[in-house]
Amino acid sequence: MNRTNANFTFSPRLARWTGKTVLWVFLLTVAALLLFPIVLVLLGSFKTNQELTSGATIWPKVWNFSNYAQAWEGANFSRFTLNSIFVSVTTTIGTLIVASMSAYAVNRVHFIGKKLYTLLMASTLFISIGAVVLRPQFDLMVMLGLNKTLWGVVIILVSAHATCYFILIGFFESIPKDLDEAAMIDGCNFYSVYWRIVLPLLRPALAVAGLSAFQGSWNEYILPLVFTMSNPELQTLPVGLANLRYGIGAAAEIQLMMAGACLSILPLLVVYVFANKSFMQVTLGAVKG
Amino acid sequence: MKLKKVHAYVFVFPSLFLTLVFGIYPLLWALRYMFYDYQGFGTPVFIGLGNFTRILRDHQFWSSVGNTGIYALGKLLVTLPMSLVLAIILNRKLKGRSLLRAIYYLPTIFSASVMAIVFFIIFNSYNGILNQLLLKYHLVSAPINWLGADYAMLTTIIIAIWGAIGNYMLLFLAGLQGIPNDLYEAASLDGANEFQKLKYVTIPMLGPVMQMIIMLAITISLKGYESIMVLTAGGPYGKTEVMYLYLFKLLFPVSGETQGIQQLGYGSAVGFTTALIVGGVTLIYFRISKKLNDVY
Repeated sequence: MNRTNANFTFSPRLARWTGKTVLWVFLLTVAALLLFPIVLVLLGSFKTNQELTSGATIWPKVWNFSNYAQAWEGANFSRFTLNSIFVSVTTTIGTLIVASMSAYAVNRVHFIGKKLYTLLMASTLFISIGAVVLRPQFDLMVMLGLNKTLWGVVIILVSAHATCYFILIGFFESIPKDLDEAAMIDGCNFYSVYWRIVLPLLRPALAVAGLSAFQGSWNEYILPLVFTMSNPELQTLPVGLANLRYGIGAAAEIQLMMAGACLSILPLLVVYVFANKSFMQVTLGAVKG
Repeated sequence: MKLKKVHAYVFVFPSLFLTLVFGIYPLLWALRYMFYDYQGFGTPVFIGLGNFTRILRDHQFWSSVGNTGIYALGKLLVTLPMSLVLAIILNRKLKGRSLLRAIYYLPTIFSASVMAIVFFIIFNSYNGILNQLLLKYHLVSAPINWLGADYAMLTTIIIAIWGAIGNYMLLFLAGLQGIPNDLYEAASLDGANEFQKLKYVTIPMLGPVMQMIIMLAITISLKGYESIMVLTAGGPYGKTEVMYLYLFKLLFPVSGETQGIQQLGYGSAVGFTTALIVGGVTLIYFRISKKLNDVY
């Protein structure tokens, strides 16, 4: 510490420049830390097993696709992927139908029990007793004879549509009621107004709610895990992938885990690159509701 | 108009039916069986409050409650300040703002269980990439056992933070955008600098929104167990067992360290207790933050 430093003052410009640099270093460090696992798994899935376990590299030395082939054919990931697609697509469609129908009725008609219904939907969002509900749900599916199919998982996922319901009901305010009345005068009834007027106008909201339902069901782990305990051929991607962790020789199957994890995150990643705004809408819509 | 009401009931029916059958009935089922000794087969035996006295004596359960507290606190103490700072920065005019937003939000869209596998690949002590890199650049002399007794909780908290930052950043951003611009303009006219604007405009105006977000964050952090279940299954020696994971194992004894027998009656009682704990903590926070609001 010499005396001359004390007389040295920052010029305002230098101060601003230093502040900016510090800010950007911080922002980019956070970005790097958050991206690291995702980049690592995307690149790592192309490495040989040997490079994965002792290479200490991030960028693959040699690009090979054998991990994917091995996971797809040998480790049953083709089946997991098909199951995941089935569950997510049917759940999304089912959720949108159920939630949009009830939101339409609640928003447009005054009927007895409306307040109670809204309260019920809100309560399902907040009350959670964890995995306990899975047992009676499973018993119900056994009664219906659906416990050996993926329809059981789909129906239970659709039954949890409160989030989508609140996203949709928020959007309904923006559709003028005069439109319904005009359509009624033109000879539409309650059903055709819903089908021809309301649903087309709701498209942006349906996209957000649908994305929410798709993301939720694609990522769901606990429910399919419980339902597929005795039916391994029904496992979805997250379940099949997590099983590798506790399988025999988990440490030796790193390359399978890498490829499997990639298969599980790629669909969402691709959609996200094109529509990250919609993903953010999902979070905000759910909270606002 | 009468006709319209009938239509409305028809339209609400699917939603109502599904909610009652798969949402409300399981709750009632659990409310009934918490007073029974029932292991999933045979006849349930009514034991009154027996399950609850058992909970009071259940050291494993209370240690899992303690672990939940550590896990939630560790997660929130880093996540909330970090995401608030990021939101404040990204709320200003900045080059590449929307790209940064998209990057920070990205981790939140993936499945907790899948990401737990990715983090297993990273943190695995035997051949994980993190230890490989640390050893390669001589930052450590011997591999660190990230999933061992000393570090496992830290590792699970790191994963939780990684997955949550973007979410709360986004919620804070939404709150920040709700603050009217006139206030900032007025502050500028009065000669306030950036820090004064933050202190006298942003933070006070964000108060109510912040309260809601923190409340949400508390409930979510107490309920999270998926990634822990996949990564450590509550091990080693129950060090990372959180209460919802302990509950899961009572109901579905699976891989990892199993409890052996399915205990539906006791599990229902534990489920009810965990819900009470989450509700209680949320309520306490709500009361305290209200008091703070009155003071300021």
